[in-house]
Amino acid sequence: MALLKKIINRHIVNVRIVPTVRLTSNDVKISSSDDAPVEIENPYTKERRQCILCKLNVTPDYKNYRLLSQFQSPYTGRIYGRHITGLCRQKQMQVEAEITKAQNCAYLPYYYKDKRFIKDPKLFDPENPIRPHRF
Amino acid sequence: MPAYELAIMLRAMPKNELKSSLRRISQAIFDRGGIIRNIENLGFRPTPYKTSAHGLVHREANYFIIKVDTASQAVADLKEEYSRDVDIIRQRVFKAPTDIQDSCTLEDELLPPAYRKDVQKMIDIGKTQVNRFTYKFKYNSGLDYYPFQR
Repeated sequence: MALLKKIINRHIVNVRIVPTVRLTSNDVKISSSDDAPVEIENPYTKERRQCILCKLNVTPDYKNYRLLSQFQSPYTGRIYGRHITGLCRQKQMQVEAEITKAQNCAYLPYYYKDKRFIKDPKLFDPENPIRPHRF
Repeated sequence: MPAYELAIMLRAMPKNELKSSLRRISQAIFDRGGIIRNIENLGFRPTPYKTSAHGLVHREANYFIIKVDTASQAVADLKEEYSRDVDIIRQRVFKAPTDIQDSCTLEDELLPPAYRKDVQKMIDIGKTQVNRFTYKFKYNSGLDYYPFQR
């Protein structure tokens, strides 16, 4: 114990307080107007995602059956679901309604996809749905 | 007068007959006080499926779309008249589309379920419902003891 005291005393003696200039907020003259925090929008917010029909401002129409056929399966002619097409709720409902109208008017087939439209560009990948499905 | 679209399939026939049948179709609209805004010809092409009409099987058809302004009462009348026309294979009447522009809701739909408005609403409804499938023993049934195994 005595040894410990000795060591501590020696150490405390060795520490010297160096007087330095201490800056305080009272000393420095900063005009509050130009350095005040500025109210801005969060620059890191992500861009709002939109579905492809909303982005291109396309309204599905039964007369435009070539566009509608892109939402049909080439194997069964059935309409792909929202988790595959990536459309918003409203556009998907419109697409489904217009496809049934077009099929009823005999513009589109029910059980297959028109072979003239098979090589049309793909708007989405059925193999990579947004949500997994059981097929 | 509301705007309608008549989607009409006419059977395969020579041009002069087509002309006369189109004239007949439009005359029926004019007779009922309707106005034709536009006639679109979508062409003569094979149909995606065979259609039988008036005792004949059709595999090809002339497609027309007639944009009409007519009284709502006249539409049923027109459909009845066209159903008797042997040149018309198939006729459908739709209301002319109106432009409804709503902002895309895809971003809200891709949120995790707990953050979605419709899921929150469902949970709130579920909280108000009584679960009918679990039986809870009532202790005020007159028995002094619990009759089931604990």
